[in-house]
Amino acid sequence: MLEVADVATAYGKIEALKGVSLTAEKGRITCLLGPNGAGKTTLMYTIAGILRPRRGSVRLAGEDITGLASSSIVARGLALVPENRLVFPHMSVEENLVAGAYQRRDAPAVAEDIERMYARFPRLQERRQQLAGTLSGGEQQMLAVARALMSRPRILLMDEPSLGLAPRIVEEVFAIVETLNRDGVTIFLVEQNAHMALRVAHHFYLMEQGRVSFSGEPGKLAQDEVIQRAYLGTRRPG
Amino acid sequence: MTDVIQSTLDGLMFGSAYALLALGFTLIFGTMRRLNLAYGPTIMAGAYLGAYAFARTGMGALPVALLAVAGAALAGLYVERLCFRPFGEGAAIASMISSFAVWMQIEEAATLALPSHLNAFPRLAAAAPIEVGPFSFRAEHLLMLLVASLAAALVYWGLARTRFGLAVRTVIDHRRAAALVGVPVERTLMLAFVLASAIGGLAGFLIAASEAQITPMFGMWATTKGLIAMMLGGLGSVPGAILGGLALGVIEANAQWLFGPHVRDLVAWGLLFAVLALWPGGLLGGRDGPGAAGHGRV
Repeated sequence: MLEVADVATAYGKIEALKGVSLTAEKGRITCLLGPNGAGKTTLMYTIAGILRPRRGSVRLAGEDITGLASSSIVARGLALVPENRLVFPHMSVEENLVAGAYQRRDAPAVAEDIERMYARFPRLQERRQQLAGTLSGGEQQMLAVARALMSRPRILLMDEPSLGLAPRIVEEVFAIVETLNRDGVTIFLVEQNAHMALRVAHHFYLMEQGRVSFSGEPGKLAQDEVIQRAYLGTRRPG
Repeated sequence: MTDVIQSTLDGLMFGSAYALLALGFTLIFGTMRRLNLAYGPTIMAGAYLGAYAFARTGMGALPVALLAVAGAALAGLYVERLCFRPFGEGAAIASMISSFAVWMQIEEAATLALPSHLNAFPRLAAAAPIEVGPFSFRAEHLLMLLVASLAAALVYWGLARTRFGLAVRTVIDHRRAAALVGVPVERTLMLAFVLASAIGGLAGFLIAASEAQITPMFGMWATTKGLIAMMLGGLGSVPGAILGGLALGVIEANAQWLFGPHVRDLVAWGLLFAVLALWPGGLLGGRDGPGAAGHGRV
């Protein structure tokens, strides 16, 4: 579904991604783990069209989307739940959901989808007129996910959904990830919380300092070593 | 007492044009997070286009109005492409300085086209003043209030109910999030800019037509009035712009009645100073500082 090939992205002179290649298969949950500063968010923003890569390519369902504007990429069925949620703080929960469906023209179906989101996330329904900026972290995460789903994406990208959330809420979030996937949504997930991510992933990659350093299935490699490298990076002698 | 009410009513009517000026300024600030110093001059470019056509052909008020709005919108597009688009997120200062430069450029061009200081402008309404009880209203001012109110209501409705309005509101609230939900951010910014310039063009036409004349000072005048009204209402707030414009009109009118016409601009600047010193958030933002009121909440 999603193929990233040798993508390099830089901020001025600083190369954050030094040639990243990975694949997210249709219908599965693929995770990208890695310590802070590894470049995971840069990769997500590059795929979503917020940043332009210096080289390499990104393909979505076979189509080259490298360098396209973010609005074109959303149109092609990719939605990103960004790091730190980025809800529209001064718009209500409901307005956020409507905004998520910005590109859609089928108003009645959009209204139905909003009701479906409320059924899936009852806490959002309770707060439907409330300003999104006043929601708790966990509620904002649900809203960010629901907003991304409103565009009916083929693939859902999630950047650190557990960031800053209490353990109980993190469990809820990952339960939602699993449910969505069971309903057929392809998911590409970036996480620092390797423990939770490895519980749901079908396949995972490890990223360190702008490069993919490992690719495999949970269980194939000793959990401890993976988690250690995900949190701390590769141990270097001396 | 009657005089105070008369002044207040006059102030409200003239203030409606200030409100439109502030509305355009605010739309640009809210979306771009930058001050467009060439705002007044783009309005003047439209008004001068109208004056030029009027001088050459003697056409009526309505075609001149259309020309003024179209001229301002085109000038706004020019400013947006030149000053605000190429610089991206970081270079706020560069954008504002280049808008200052374009201000000078447009003023020069306008005075080259119409060299005389005073240029005739078609009258907005030729009717006699209307008397209602003890109060007297100039027909131009009533028409100004009507047109400005309609325009403001249309913009308000547009922001709240149309797809483009949703795009503008998302860009104002959180630009990156807007990009992530698929809003075409660059195009939205450009269209908002042009729309804001067109609104300013309408305000400029109303003001010039009510005075039946236009001078080269108009650009600077429009920028400052729009800026003051916007700060008074609350920087970046759409309802604040309208409130600020009306308030500015009322305060100026009463000051003029109390102290004479030469005091108008002094009072306006004094008001700006007072707002910045004491209530930086303006009427809707309070003491919280500039920008406290402005979040695109319509």
